[in-house]
Amino acid sequence: MAAKKLRRAKLPQELCERLSRYQITTCQDFLCLSLLELMKVTGQSYRNVQKLLCQVSLACAPKMQTAYEMKVRRSVNPSSAFLSTTLHSLDEVLHGGVPCGSLTEITSPPGCGKTQFCILMSVLATLPVSMGGLDGAVVYIDTESAFSAERLVEIAGNRFPAYFDSDEKLFCMTRSIHLYRELTCDSVLKRIKSLEEEIISKKVKLIIIDSVASVVRKEFDTQLQGNLAERSNFLARGASLLKYLAEEFSIPVILTNQITTSLSNGLAIPADLVSPADDLFLSEVSGAPGSGKKESGCVTAALGNTWSHSVNTRLILQYHNLPTRQILVAKSPVAPFSVFFYTIEKSGLVLQD
Amino acid sequence: MQRAVGSLPLGPALRARLAAAGFQTAQELLDTGPCGLSREIGISKEEALEALQVVRQECSGDAARTAGGAGTTRKCTALELLEEEQAQGFIITFCSALDNILGGGVQLTKITEVCGAPGVGKTQLCMQLAVDVQIPECFGGVCGEAVFIDTEGSFMVDRVADIAAACVQHCRLIAEAHQEEDHQKALETFSLESILSHIYYFRCRDYIELLAQVYLLPDFLSEHSKVRLVVIDGIAFPFRHDFEDLSLRTRLLNGLAQQLIIIANDHKSAVVLTNQMTTRIGQSQSTLVPALGESWGHAATVRLIFHWDKSQRLATLYKSPSQKESTIPYTITPHGFRDVQPPAVTQNTESTEMNPRKRPRREEEK
Repeated sequence: MAAKKLRRAKLPQELCERLSRYQITTCQDFLCLSLLELMKVTGQSYRNVQKLLCQVSLACAPKMQTAYEMKVRRSVNPSSAFLSTTLHSLDEVLHGGVPCGSLTEITSPPGCGKTQFCILMSVLATLPVSMGGLDGAVVYIDTESAFSAERLVEIAGNRFPAYFDSDEKLFCMTRSIHLYRELTCDSVLKRIKSLEEEIISKKVKLIIIDSVASVVRKEFDTQLQGNLAERSNFLARGASLLKYLAEEFSIPVILTNQITTSLSNGLAIPADLVSPADDLFLSEVSGAPGSGKKESGCVTAALGNTWSHSVNTRLILQYHNLPTRQILVAKSPVAPFSVFFYTIEKSGLVLQD
Repeated sequence: MQRAVGSLPLGPALRARLAAAGFQTAQELLDTGPCGLSREIGISKEEALEALQVVRQECSGDAARTAGGAGTTRKCTALELLEEEQAQGFIITFCSALDNILGGGVQLTKITEVCGAPGVGKTQLCMQLAVDVQIPECFGGVCGEAVFIDTEGSFMVDRVADIAAACVQHCRLIAEAHQEEDHQKALETFSLESILSHIYYFRCRDYIELLAQVYLLPDFLSEHSKVRLVVIDGIAFPFRHDFEDLSLRTRLLNGLAQQLIIIANDHKSAVVLTNQMTTRIGQSQSTLVPALGESWGHAATVRLIFHWDKSQRLATLYKSPSQKESTIPYTITPHGFRDVQPPAVTQNTESTEMNPRKRPRREEEK
């Protein structure tokens, strides 16, 4: 929208030519100038410049919808609003499952089951709508080379034995999962930018990035000057691209993140706590009993504050008493804090009642 | 009439030519007429006519202003302002503790900024206000409509529907307890569909769309004159990335703040903005501060900061011209933004405390 050329905003031809002499060719350039500057470059009077501003704004501004129209649209197509995780209690609390059209983050210490969860969701997305899936392809961007196709087939076969009764069905499912291995931040960003066309051509219904944290933390050392800002920049750009894709095509986007402790050279950042779920539960598990746990450093989701603002739903996986683990809903616009216990079986994640 | 030519809102090239030709006051221009003007300066007759029309409009506008007519600047005494302020409504938040520290609720004609960490409840408050602004007057509301500008994509229609249903239920219970005719009549039009139809939603993907939308907002508000609340959920998000030129960002934000102040005043509506928190790394510790920098702090009249204290959500009134700083706890229930229930009350109560000035207290029924 911002890069829309002024010609397409229906400004008169001579005006566009005159403006291009000042290097003002897009709506973005036009709207960033103040009224007096606009008067100077267009050579028009105050009132005319205001009219031009309105015209250019009309070309850029979003369309209005009332909340009622949005609700009606959703109720007409209820199954497309969520992707059920088949973890029953979790689905109930989240009002249906992983929401479509927004970013969901799964965060945990290593080995708790993030990749397992992602593989499970990939299988679910390829299932037909009658079984709770989205009947579509999956784009899986893997930065840690942790994806295992064998595990994928194992989960599918064990979780839905009635459906995947023939090899052909399994192959059909595996054919719709498109795996991309990206190992640097730049390539991840490029891949995300190229996704728009892929989504349309391959009828993708789920995007998974596993994991954002590993590739970002490899490249940006926040101890160095200026890296913090660059990292936030990269993350914010990635987040807004993904949000655009999620909303435009109404599909869920799942991202995984890691857990970090606060900076170890004495800089305590209690302020970086995203929510009490981070503080209470994590330090309960990882710290020793007693008051020492708070002082030794708080455990929080990595990638900083700005990233936490960008994701809409956050699920935290943790160890409980092995082999049981727990899954927390830490941030969600529709769900309160909840904890569920699960184990990892052949058929993927299984909730314990 | 004696207005200097240089101060007229004409194009700069034209003004330069007029100055070069020796014109000094507006009266001279009007006396010369379009043909004479075009001959002297060397512009076409149409351009000259246009220029004269602008001059005439400006001068008549000036005359009206000096005669004390309805211009853009008004003079009034502090007493008149006091009466106006007292007659003005507040938008209640359904959390009486928050309403109390704000002096009655979110004030109309002022900009209120809500800052907080992610997940603390800023969008929930915005959705609650978008519903509360529509409460009819007999129940203590301002009976207005809402504009919701969303930059982060966190507006959930289902959640708004839940909040609206709880609000309608609340008003219905009040109407039953009081059995007044205007309550019943108001309830007929105050339903879930009507609430949702009067929330005008705009989804802005980047800062250019946001700027464009705010430029178009005055026209929109003139068409929809019942709007009493403009919410911009996430004013920080579009400005926090892809901005190498920080001075441009400051300038755009200041311009935005100015336009919002004008909108709030001209259309008698409340403007609510939500901001993010950012970490400021200091000497020996780092703190959470509102994003967008120090100069943005001046834009809002009232500033609320939402934060956590262990597992309790707290709201602090950080900046206000008339109320003092204080902190209160609040909670978010399936019905929306509410007070924290005091421990003595049993769990299955429906009541929320109401602002005693606006509505009578409802007795416990359960």
